Formats: sequence, structure tokens, C-alpha cells
Amino acid sequence: MGIIHPLPDLLISQIAAGEVVERPASVLKEVLENSLDAGASRIDVTLEEGGVRLIRVADDGKGMAADDLPLALARHATSKIASLDDLEKVGSYGFRGEALASIASVARLVITSRTADSPHAWRIASATPEPAALDRGTVIEVADLYWSTPARRKFLKSAATEYAHCDEVLRRMALARPDVHFSLSHNGSMKRRLASADFPTRARDLIGEDFFPHARAVEASAGPLRLRGLAALPAYSRSGRDEQYFFVNGRFVRDKLLMHAAREAWADILHGARHPAYVLFLELDPSGVDVNVHPAKTEVRFRDGRGIHQFVFHALSRALAAPLQVGDVPAAVTTELPASRYSGWQRSSQGSLQVSEPAMRQYFDFVAGSQPASAQSADMAKIAVPPAPTCGTSPTLGYAIAQLHGVYVLAQNTQGLVLVDMHAAHERILYEKLKTHCDAGQPSTQQLLVPIVLTATDKELATTADHAGALEQLGIAISVAGPRELAVRCVPSLLAGGNVAELIRSLLAELSEQPASNVIAARRNELLATMACHGAVRANRSLSLPEMNALLRDMEATERADQCNHGRPTWIALSMNDLDRLFMRGR
Amino acid sequence: MLLFKGLRDQLLSPLQAVCGIVEKRHTLPILSNVLMQKKGDVLTLLATDIEIQITTSTIAPGSEDASITVGARKLQDILRSLDDGVEVSLVLEDKRLQLKSGKSRFNLQTLPADDFPRMTVADGQSTRLQFTQAQMKRLISLVQCAMAQQDIRYYLNGLLLVAKASDLIVVATDGHRLAYASETMGEPLIPIEVILPRKTVLELSRQLADTEDPLEIILTPTQARFRFGNIELVSKLIDGKFPDYERVIPQNHNKILPLNRNRLLQSLHRVAILTNEKFRGVRLVLATDNMKIMSSNSDQEDALEDVEVSYNQEPLDIGFNVTYLLDVLNNVNDEIIELRLADSNSSALFTIPNDDHFKYVVMPMRI
Repeated sequence: MGIIHPLPDLLISQIAAGEVVERPASVLKEVLENSLDAGASRIDVTLEEGGVRLIRVADDGKGMAADDLPLALARHATSKIASLDDLEKVGSYGFRGEALASIASVARLVITSRTADSPHAWRIASATPEPAALDRGTVIEVADLYWSTPARRKFLKSAATEYAHCDEVLRRMALARPDVHFSLSHNGSMKRRLASADFPTRARDLIGEDFFPHARAVEASAGPLRLRGLAALPAYSRSGRDEQYFFVNGRFVRDKLLMHAAREAWADILHGARHPAYVLFLELDPSGVDVNVHPAKTEVRFRDGRGIHQFVFHALSRALAAPLQVGDVPAAVTTELPASRYSGWQRSSQGSLQVSEPAMRQYFDFVAGSQPASAQSADMAKIAVPPAPTCGTSPTLGYAIAQLHGVYVLAQNTQGLVLVDMHAAHERILYEKLKTHCDAGQPSTQQLLVPIVLTATDKELATTADHAGALEQLGIAISVAGPRELAVRCVPSLLAGGNVAELIRSLLAELSEQPASNVIAARRNELLATMACHGAVRANRSLSLPEMNALLRDMEATERADQCNHGRPTWIALSMNDLDRLFMRGR
Repeated sequence: MLLFKGLRDQLLSPLQAVCGIVEKRHTLPILSNVLMQKKGDVLTLLATDIEIQITTSTIAPGSEDASITVGARKLQDILRSLDDGVEVSLVLEDKRLQLKSGKSRFNLQTLPADDFPRMTVADGQSTRLQFTQAQMKRLISLVQCAMAQQDIRYYLNGLLLVAKASDLIVVATDGHRLAYASETMGEPLIPIEVILPRKTVLELSRQLADTEDPLEIILTPTQARFRFGNIELVSKLIDGKFPDYERVIPQNHNKILPLNRNRLLQSLHRVAILTNEKFRGVRLVLATDNMKIMSSNSDQEDALEDVEVSYNQEPLDIGFNVTYLLDVLNNVNDEIIELRLADSNSSALFTIPNDDHFKYVVMPMRI
């Protein structure tokens, strides 16, 4: 007798469950996706003991008929796709048709569902549906997860940890679908209640308040590609990747390519050890992306990886680069107040300062405590508007008053005091100028008299062949010199003095992982940054007022002027409100 | 114990001869010292950085023998700041070295001579070469600018010394340009090929005199010893394969331009002011009997120099790093220098008319 035999159905499902149902949070994810695919507008989640004891998801979606219920529990049965064609441009969250079967194989699953035209609901626990009571939609109850596979159960963490994972899953879903009402209760207490809303409100509910004052709206499209969402300026960064939400066609993904593109966009302005925060939605034609890569669908594959990488990188860079914006400084509000009351403050200011009337009013408004300033930025539509000149004649960074210890420039703007680190600011201005000059026109290249020969792996040789065009564009002439040797014959002039072999290696390493590489640009920028640093005014150089004002105007006109080349801030603002608080005025 | 008593310069000049190679920063403190050994009437001074070692001596009458090490730079600085022609004495007392001169007293800390690392003279077959100091000095000065500096291809951080038939050849390259110089000796030489480290070359060019005094070179497979005047310099050799310079030097460049070296040098100096500060590119644009030298920088400023040349071939537009051109023009002395070109993607060759003892190859740059 042979040693190979077919596995029983239950075991097959249990094996599949190993991939799909990793922990309660993955069950919740699958069930929530079903609800959304069923067109639910309201989803209520009830958890017990972090979802290990019970996960109950009630939605008001279109429901299932009695005949469908047994099939819903069968493996590879789905309503979402019917052919390979559908698979290639799948528009629903699910399509594999194995989630419920897998869950049923490792937990006690009960489905109660009612379609709109059915006289009553049906309930299925094991084999045959039986009549039940339900207003509309579907209720799925998953109880005692892993009761049949106790070994698996041992891998679960504490209820609190499992709950945190479930909460994270719900947050992701809720971010992707702000139009859907979500609620979450755990062990009988209500944890989240998210009314259906627009994206900014939903994002505000789900991501920390701190994120918002620093968030820039991202809105870009190119052909069928569209990227929108919120990205935090470097002033708000994280020590981990916990606030990086990337959605591709509404599906949350942790994709290496997208994360890399985002990382590159921040590279120039964020300190190396920090991670950016963002919520981004990439939309593209479903046929341009393959989601059938991994059962949990957190990885995707793009048809045109290089194009997507470039698009995301450029869209984000542009959004982050825009010079000082309205979002950074609250816009003026008009409330009439007798100016004479505050004339003392005006008089104390320097003669040349022109504080515009509406801006002054705004300050009065602050004093009156009528409206929190940050409320302005809550409305995404408003952030998205290109920066309107803040207050007529008054520039964002105001006018210089004095220099402090030869290091900082003090300036006053309509909101209060601005402190500028003059070296850092000047460094950034020079750096951006150098970059602009270098980006214009073809890069100059130096040919090598003695080629640099490096021993290469087969992978590196293949990468060289695959990316010959890209390498040439970067100003690198490279050819295969032997079975395992590469010869570099031409390099960008700016980098000709450095360690070329090492540069080429890291370039090839990145090109083999990612469709595009910014290694050359990054190296070049390092050099330019050093040049900018040497060229910038040093501490203890005394500046006259016109010089300081010129610096402030340059900063306003320069991209990424908020951060120095090393990711530190170049300026901070203390509003009159902040200053009043320091002196306990108006308390 | 008296180490030395005599005129300042009698001590200072040998000290300066050995101090050049002492590195300013060390993890091994004793290497910043100079070893002083007195034996009979001779005071020997020795300094090393483990790669190179220089020894010289001076006359110091006295009876007792002694040896000690003391901070080389401090001693040199003190002696240099004393007046010319004063009398100086060095006395070793209780592990401290006292320097006295007129009304000045200096007590210097010492380290024992036994701890001082000395290079061992390598065994193995040795080859001797003998030239005049001026010959070697001239060869080095012609090519040293092309040596690489801290390149990972360690064999480029030095100078290739070749004896072939009756020619002594030196070659240096940093991968972008290559300089070649040779000198024909009277008699056939024993064939050799060694790479001298950059620091050794710079030290030699500093110490060799422009005279007909002899220079003796003793080469072993790992070491070179140079003897000239009363100085002996011992250096490690770079163990590596130097690029094949003969393949790099182009043979058939047919566009030949004789140029007035001084005028070209001055034009390039002016044009260089408006080049990009990091890669310093200039363009040479050749038309019939005219050469334009052009540069521009990132501030959109540009410079143009017209140079009259005799040229009657097709137009050519070629870019170079101006530093590489200035280097060659600064290092030769001849009035006329010849530039040989092929096309804008091939190397350029500088030669001296009717003299194949000097060649300088530089790769173009695409600007």
C-alpha cells in the first residue's frame, strides 16, 4: 500500500487556517472584510477576552439566503469572483473563499443572516440552516477560537495583547472606510464608537491629536494612479513604524516597495533614526496590482513597480517640500475688537514692523479664547488648498527684531515670536539651491582611465544587465569584465573622488530589491549638504536686520525650509498665547 | 649625562630631517618621539611611523654613551624658536631631558629607548641602484601630483618605480589621470618594478637636494632603503599589481596641438574661477586655428578664453577636470607642451615635443 493518501477535509481547512487565522485579529479582519464586501454601512464588533472567547460581528449588509449558508462554510466557495478574469481585477476585499471554512475548522462558528426579501433570518451552526430572528444583515459569531487545536491556542498572547491587535485591525478598516459606522466593545464595555464621517474626522478620531497640526494633505494623480491622504511633516515623527498606514485600493498593506518609496521621500528631512507617520491611499486600476500574493493580503505586487515607486516618491516629496503653509500658522479670523486696548504691544514693536490689521485681530481672538487654532487644520479640504498669503502683507516668519548670542534670529510675526536657528536655516537654503542646480541638466560624468574592477555575484551581474538604462542615466558606465567581474568606466563627476566600488555595490543591492534607486542622489546630496554646511553662516557671525530679514524671506521661499539638512527644526514659533501662558496672563 | 652640546643648527637641521614623518596623532605615544642615540662623538637621530623610518646623525663630542626618546615636535619647536647661532645643550637627568640655552631652560619628559619600535632591515635578495639626487628629485616632481590619496585600490596610493633596460621609469595614477616620466641612464639597469608608498615619495621629494650628490637605493622584495647625504630612509613597499601603464598611454592620437604652456596655464587659472567648485569642469572647444576654453558654474556664471593654436582638423568639443590640466602644466618646465587628442570620449595625452621621457594621460569628463 502506498504511503501517500488524501487528507480529510477538516484537516485541509485546519492547515489553511494556519495561514489565514493566525490570531483573533486575523479572524476579525476576515469577518470585517466580508461585512464591507456585503455593503454594510454599520458594523458592530463585540469581543470577549481579546477575541479568544468570542468575536461577534453584526452588520447591516445585504445578508445571505438560506441556500447560501451551507456553501458559505464550504472551502473555496465565494460570491466574490467567478473566473480568472475576475481574479485579475478583483475589487472586493476577499476572493479566496476559504476564510470562513478555515475559521469554522478551528472555532465554533455561528452565522445568522437575513436578506432583504426573506421573511425571516436563517441561522447555521453546523450543517443545516434553521430559522432564526434577525432584523437585517448578518451576524457572525466566532467562539472559542482554537478549541479544537489546543496546541495552537498556546501561541496566543494575553487577552490584552490580542485585544490590542483586534483594535488595530478595526482602526485600519475604519480609516479605509470612513463612511461606515463602526463600534467596538470589549468584555461588555464600549471601546470605540465611530459614526460615519468624512476622512479627516475619522482620521482625527483614530490617530493621535498630535499628528494633525503637522499633517500635510497629499493629493496627486497621474493617469489611473491617485495618491491621497495625510503625511506628517518631520516635526512629528515616530520611533517606530506604528503610524504608517498605506492602503492600496482601500486595502491595508505593508508593502516593501511602498514603504521604501515613502521612506525615500522623507530621507532628506527626517533624522535617520526616526520614522515618518502617514495615512495614504493609493488608488489604481485593479488590474495593475496583484493582491493574490499572500493569504493575509498584506503584500501586493504591482505590474509597474518602478512607475508606482516613482509616483509615490514624487507625490510625497512634493507635498512635504512645499514651503511654509497655512497649516503651520493658523489663518486669520475676523472679529472686531478695539485695537486701542492692545496698542501697548504694538508700540513696543520695532518701527519697521508691519503687523497687518486682521492678524492683530486674530491675536485678540486668541486672547478672548474663542476658538482653538488647530481646528483650522482639521478640515482636510482647507489644508489641501494651496497656501493663501496668510494675512495680506505680513510674511509667515514675520520680521527680524534681533540676534541672540550670534546664534538665533528673533523675529515677530502676526502670531507672536519666531526663533530661527540661522546656521541651520541658511544651510537648508543653500542646500536646496545646490540641489536645484544639480538637478537641472545632464549630470556631468568623469571617465576613468583605470576602470574600477569589482568582483560581483551573479545577482549583481543580472541587476547590471536589467538596469543598464537606469545606470546610464545616472552617469554610470559599467560593463561585464569577466565571468564574475564588473568594470566601472564612468562615474558622476561629483562622486568620482569617493569609494566608487562601495557606491556601485550599494546601488546594485538596492536596484535588485527595489525598482528604482536613489542611492546616487542620496550620495550626491550628502556631498551637497557638506558644501552647504561649509557655505552657511556660522554662529557668532553678527547679522544686520536687513540680512536677517533676507534670511527669513529666503526661508519662506525655500522648499523643506522647516528642517535643516539633518532633520532638526530650523525655527520654532511661540505664539502670544504661549507667551501669555508663560506669564500666566489672562488666567 | 650630557647628550649634546653645540650650536642650535647642528641639532635642528638633522632633527628637521627626521621629524617630517612623525604623525601628529598617535595611538602609540612613543611614535611621536624621536630616538636619540649617542655613541662616541656621534649623535644619531631616528624617527619612524612603522611604515617609514628616517635616520640621520650629527656630531656631539662627549664621552658617555646614552640613548633616550623625547617628543620630536616639542623639541623641534623649542629649537626653532631659539635665536640663530645660540649654543644649546641637552642633558639627560633622572628620566628627564633638560634643554638649556642662554637663560632658557626646558625639561622634557622622556620614554626609554628600548621601547622604541624600529624597522628591521629586511633580508632577502637586494638590488642596488645608484643615481644622483637631482635625477630622482626631478622624476618624482613630474609625476607625484597624479598619485592617488587614500584610494581603496591601495596600490594607487604610491608611485611605481621601474628599471627597464637602461631606463628608470616612474609612474603615478589615481585612476583619472596618469603621469609617466623616465630618465635614460648610462649603463643597463637590473630590471625591477616596485611601488613606493605615497608618504615615502613626498618625504623623498622634500629631502632630496637638487645636486649631483649620489643617491643609493637598495631594494629588497618588501623594503626600499634610500641613502643620501647622511640620511638613511627605510620604507615598506606596497605589495600590489600596478595598472599596466603602457596600455593606458594612447599611441595613435592624431590631433596634435602645440601649446604655449605658460599662456595656457594662465588661461586655465582664470577660467577655473568660474567652474563648479566640486568637480571643476572646463570645456576645450577646438575649431580651425582656435581653441576656446569655457567654464560655467552653478550660479549660471561663465568664462571664456580664446587661445590661438595651429589646428586644421575637424572641430572637437571635450571636457576636463581643470585641476588635472593645471597639475600637468605646473609640473613641467618646458615652454611648449603638446596636447594630443582623438575624440571627445578618448583620453588626452600631454607630451613635450621631441621628448618621449614625459607623458601625461587624462580622461575627459562629460559636462
